[in-house]
Amino acid sequence: MEGSYMQGRGSGGLPGRPSENVNLADILERVLDKGIVIAGDIQINLLDIELLTIKLRLLIASVDRAREMGINWWESDPSLQSMDKGDDDNGRDRLERENRDLRERLERLEQRLGLEEGQGSEEPSRAR
Amino acid sequence: MRDDVGEWASKRAPELVARAEAEAVEELKRALLEAAAGKRRPEPARTAPPAPEPAVAQPPAAEPEGEGLWAYCVARAGDPLPEKLNGVHDGAALERIEDGDLTVLVSRVPLAEFAEEPLRRNLNDFDWLERVARRHEAVLEGALQGATIVPLRLCTIYADEQGAARMLDEERSALLTALEALAGREEWGVKLLVDRDALESAARARSTEAAALEEEMDARTGGGAYMLKRRLDRHLREVADSLADELADDVHARLQDWASDAVLNRPQNRDLSRHEGEMLLNAAYLVETAKVERLHELVAELETRHGELGARLELTGPWPPYNFVPGSGRALA
Repeated sequence: MEGSYMQGRGSGGLPGRPSENVNLADILERVLDKGIVIAGDIQINLLDIELLTIKLRLLIASVDRAREMGINWWESDPSLQSMDKGDDDNGRDRLERENRDLRERLERLEQRLGLEEGQGSEEPSRAR
Repeated sequence: MRDDVGEWASKRAPELVARAEAEAVEELKRALLEAAAGKRRPEPARTAPPAPEPAVAQPPAAEPEGEGLWAYCVARAGDPLPEKLNGVHDGAALERIEDGDLTVLVSRVPLAEFAEEPLRRNLNDFDWLERVARRHEAVLEGALQGATIVPLRLCTIYADEQGAARMLDEERSALLTALEALAGREEWGVKLLVDRDALESAARARSTEAAALEEEMDARTGGGAYMLKRRLDRHLREVADSLADELADDVHARLQDWASDAVLNRPQNRDLSRHEGEMLLNAAYLVETAKVERLHELVAELETRHGELGARLELTGPWPPYNFVPGSGRALA
């Protein structure tokens, strides 16, 4: 349990301390998506907010899914470059995922092969 | 053989869906990038080679001058609010604007950066967004120390004091309702993280089928053993997945029963959150201030209870009650 509470931020947090240690995902999912939306005098075209939100949603919620689909355009989008600081982990994740995908494909192929071989051998066919 | 074909087809289906999805997202990407580029350039024919970037960007229209008021949150007029914190723009002090029994906390922002057009540009600059989001959040956290607040979404900006006061007047009843619902309560975040390996060893320990497969595997060699190993791995993954579901359900059910309100959010992207392991639950709970101590105990108990599965519970808070403002995320009117 140690260290798992509010990283650097307790219930008596110091007023005025910038929230630099707080997970950015925690902040963005709140300030962009939540809170009361009331009209201001400066009207941001909702479409543009939506644009931003869609963009961030890809980044916040389903980046893994997107990468599985081979989408990684934000990595070359200059406005989003800061997302990829600390890329070592990302790289490793990606490799692991690729590795897993390949293993699963291999498994599928073997399974098909196994079925055909299995017809004449003692290999029990898979229960269906 | 027919079964085999059917199996093959059912395996292909997700791939086809994924491909369709990929194409759709590709379209979206193109639209996003175009929009991000400010729609300044006409779209080149898709077969034509990419047009070279103009050496000098088209000069923007004259920068707007003057200042606007960036709004952070609404509170009751009498409540203490921070004065010494920095606003979203460097060096801008916090001010309060009152109308009757309500007050809105604001700070001045230069229109050159925060008027509609520059704002649109800046919002898509990730560093800018991060800085502003963190400062907005820091002000709300400060305000939370002494008052019940209704957090406003990022980019609620008024031309002047009259504009901000008018908003308080127009939204008075919704704001008062929200303040009442949130008084004496705090938002806390709970994330459930697991380590996949620990989950799979737990799956192995619980599954009789796994034990049987392992036994059978020991009795074989070569290809047969290899195929059994594959089957075992697949089986363990499935058991681990269902253990993960049960685990998340149990944690959430326990906290939800106990809290005043609960909201489930999507698991976060590791690139932003830097979390380790797999995030099974990302939830927010509204908890009476008097019960917060118990919340800490409860979370520790749940973590202990699920320790053998390698569960880690991360408790954060108190947050400005973003998730529990009535009508959160939607326009009031």
